[in-house]
Amino acid sequence: MTTAREAGLVACRRCGQVEVISAPHCQRCGSALQSRDERSLQKVWAWLIAGMIVYIPANLYPMLITRSLGHTSDSTIFGGVVELVELGSYDIAFVVFFASVVIPIGKFIAIIYLAISVQRRSILNMHQRHKLYEVIEFIGRWSMIDVFVVAILSALVQLDSIATINPGIAAVSFALSVLFTMLAAQSFDPRLIWDASRNTE
Amino acid sequence: MSDPQRAADMDVRKSRGGLSWVWIVPVIALIASLSVAWQNYSQRGTLIDIIFQSASGVRAGETVLRFRDVEVGTVEKVAFDEGLTDVIVSVRVDNEVAPYLDDDAQFWVVQPDVSLRGVTGLETVLSGVFIEGTWDGSTDVAQTEFYGMDSAPLTTLDQLGTAITLRTRDGSALSKGAPILHRGIRVGTLETPRLSANGENVIVDGFVDFPYDRILTTATRFWDTSGFSLSLGAGGVELDVNSIASLIEGGVAFDTVVSGGERVSQGYVFDIFEDEEIARNSVFVNPNTPTVEIAVLFDDSVSGLTKGSEVRFQGIRIGQVADLSAIINEMDGEADVQLQAILSLETNRIGMDADTTEEEALQFLADYVENGLRARLSTANILSGALIVELIEEENATPATLDIDLEPYPIIPTADAAIADVAETAEEVLARIERLPIEELLQGAIDLMASIERLANDESVRDVPEELASLLKETRALVASEDVQGIPPDIRDAIGDFDGLVQSFVAAELATQLTDALTVTTEAASNISDGTENLSEISVALEDLLTKVNALELAALVTEATSTLDSIDTLIESDETQALPASLNETLADARAVLVEAERFLASEDLQALPSDLRTTVTDLNAILAQIQAAELVLKLDDAITSAAAAADSIETASADLPAITAELQSLAEKANALKVEELIDEATQTLASIDALLGADGVDELPENLNLSLAELRGILSDLRTGGAVENLNSALSSASGAAEALEDATVDLPDLIARANALVRESREVVESYSSRSRFGAEALTTLQGIQDAADAISALARTIQRNPSSLIRGR
Repeated sequence: MTTAREAGLVACRRCGQVEVISAPHCQRCGSALQSRDERSLQKVWAWLIAGMIVYIPANLYPMLITRSLGHTSDSTIFGGVVELVELGSYDIAFVVFFASVVIPIGKFIAIIYLAISVQRRSILNMHQRHKLYEVIEFIGRWSMIDVFVVAILSALVQLDSIATINPGIAAVSFALSVLFTMLAAQSFDPRLIWDASRNTE
Repeated sequence: MSDPQRAADMDVRKSRGGLSWVWIVPVIALIASLSVAWQNYSQRGTLIDIIFQSASGVRAGETVLRFRDVEVGTVEKVAFDEGLTDVIVSVRVDNEVAPYLDDDAQFWVVQPDVSLRGVTGLETVLSGVFIEGTWDGSTDVAQTEFYGMDSAPLTTLDQLGTAITLRTRDGSALSKGAPILHRGIRVGTLETPRLSANGENVIVDGFVDFPYDRILTTATRFWDTSGFSLSLGAGGVELDVNSIASLIEGGVAFDTVVSGGERVSQGYVFDIFEDEEIARNSVFVNPNTPTVEIAVLFDDSVSGLTKGSEVRFQGIRIGQVADLSAIINEMDGEADVQLQAILSLETNRIGMDADTTEEEALQFLADYVENGLRARLSTANILSGALIVELIEEENATPATLDIDLEPYPIIPTADAAIADVAETAEEVLARIERLPIEELLQGAIDLMASIERLANDESVRDVPEELASLLKETRALVASEDVQGIPPDIRDAIGDFDGLVQSFVAAELATQLTDALTVTTEAASNISDGTENLSEISVALEDLLTKVNALELAALVTEATSTLDSIDTLIESDETQALPASLNETLADARAVLVEAERFLASEDLQALPSDLRTTVTDLNAILAQIQAAELVLKLDDAITSAAAAADSIETASADLPAITAELQSLAEKANALKVEELIDEATQTLASIDALLGADGVDELPENLNLSLAELRGILSDLRTGGAVENLNSALSSASGAAEALEDATVDLPDLIARANALVRESREVVESYSSRSRFGAEALTTLQGIQDAADAISALARTIQRNPSSLIRGR
């Protein structure tokens, strides 16, 4: 399998235009052209670590602050899931759990796996890893559902003393976490996966 | 491998050494997260543990701790201690207040509470329970472990007032939260009662709020107001109930009866007395008087003697029984159970100073015992059998001593109790009551009742009401009879006649005549007035005369007069003279009769006819005068007058000589003055005296009396008239007339309408008739008829107007 780089070419990542490897800019869309992003891994790690750091307060601090008739209750993400389970709403609990816990953590693990495998120049499962990368890219934005729900609830439920819902620190943290992991996934250059097989030959 | 490939590889590897700017992001994220965490950690307060018996409604993370209704912390954890005996509530307290949480901090769970004192903690119904804490504003050694209270303390630490301690023997009337009352208003609250350390008393803390605590002095007395008191006395049954709250919860009241007490400090101990009376009386007993305690041993039963029973000496209270117990007394190797009463004697009541020491007091008693002082039981109340201890001086007592060093108490010897005979007397009384013939008494009562019943059942007695009823019926019929009903109209008629009479008087113009008479009188008076002007001259002459009279020998005159009076007296005293007034009276009666006849004569027709005769005479005279006039008499009269005037002139000239005449008259008067007036006066005096005597006679006195009697009769007649209700009848008649007038007035209001309607009817009728035929006979007749109706209507209208204008005319018939 011949790569573009071996053929002395470089593809624009945005529009797919193929240029000679020495071209600095895409002739079609004007974006910068790089045969390989040399700092890809650095960026991946940086964004990933930032995302993981902010994911900690997102889970420790309350996501929603509900005040109802003078009665205040704070609920964290996991606390909310447990509460929903106790109330018998398993389906909603599953959705929340999946969107707020499984996906972010899955993304962390997947990105770490991809980054390490590239660093070690692993030649295993290169096709699967590429597919995994695309799945992560696609699914990342859906984690924002949580944040949207909190934003909508906070905007709608402002009935003064009867019932009020305010976002907690966790909402911001979670939003940042999702953002950072999305950036991490975007920073990853999937072409590096395939370079390993070339170098080991 | 080609060059471009290598070059590209070189590029990648080369650039891997440099650091991307993206690394700033995780660093910032880390710093931000750590700073948030640190901020949270540094702001979290101190964790304290509060131990509760139960923590109902307390939830971790939700229940808050409040201090003066401000949130100062949140419950973090609710757990049990080892052995599950208590609940440990861990509360995260704000750092601001944590230093103040020292020994005096109190915590309790606020829950909704409905009690007699009101509803509290309502806010917790919605928000859930919370923990309330109270502590003072001083920072002592801060603690982290506290014991929570079951319920809110009744007083907070910073509340103004005085905390006191109350002591009583019976705590059944006291409960937590019971009120402390002062003259019926709540001024404080009791805490939970508890037993004293030795178990003898019940002690309860109380708190009297500011400013009422200023009333508290050492002379203040507390008493129990719980429940109600029922007392039966000479004034009847007296039921005394305080507020419902104190009835159920109990409570104490206090009052400071006498002044002079000192202000009490916090925690001062007061005793609670059984009732107000005892409390007030106790004021006069200084609770701090020094006492001396001695024991007395009784062999007999002391049933009826209690703690607090009085100890009396010659009828005066000198102390009380402090304690009662049974002791085993070993005497001569033989165990004997005796009853020991500890007497607490107030030394100042047995005549000792306040400075007297206990030893001195005991020594005094010991001396007294050697002289025969003994203690004995005595009855205080025959009915209740209550006993007191009495100290008496027994003569010829068996010698005994008071060992003042005996422990624990010196023992005073006893004398025989003075209670046995009381029981005997009571028995005797009962026996006497038993002997009373109660059976016979009851039988007699039953017989009496039976005879009363027989009497009541008697038919004649039963008939009485019926007869009364029939009598009343007859009376009613009488009243309702036409004759009786007809009386008022008759009276009204009579009044009508009277009214007519008065009218006729008015018509006769009596007033005018009277006015004329008065005019004549006035003229006469003015004549008299003119006459009096000459009096001054005469009075001058009289003065002279009187001067001469004064010069007379009056004394002799008086003597003579006196003698004359005496003779007149004797004369008058004679029967004939006495009879004179009677005959005078008769004469007067005759005179009256004559007057009556004269009156009758005057009223006679002949006399009445006289004026008419006179008139005819006058008419004749008039005719004569006319004839005279015709005969030119006036001219002749004129001549006569002229000659008369000439005569008058001659008189005037003659009057010039008048002063001379006057002088002669004066000389004449002087001569008269020179006359022997004395004799004349003597005679006059005599005459006057006899007249005086005559007037002083009995019969003359009777004259006014007769007159008085006549007047009294007249008055009686008048008052009869008045009491006869003539005036009232008149009034009622007038008011009914007025009512009738009003009714008429009302009726006349409707009359215009009626007339208008009649008019309308006539108009319509006329139209109808005209529509028929004006020439037809029927029509003409109808027309005249209608015309007549219209006339009648007009007449009614006129009548109505008249009545409206003057309603009374209907009554008067005009």
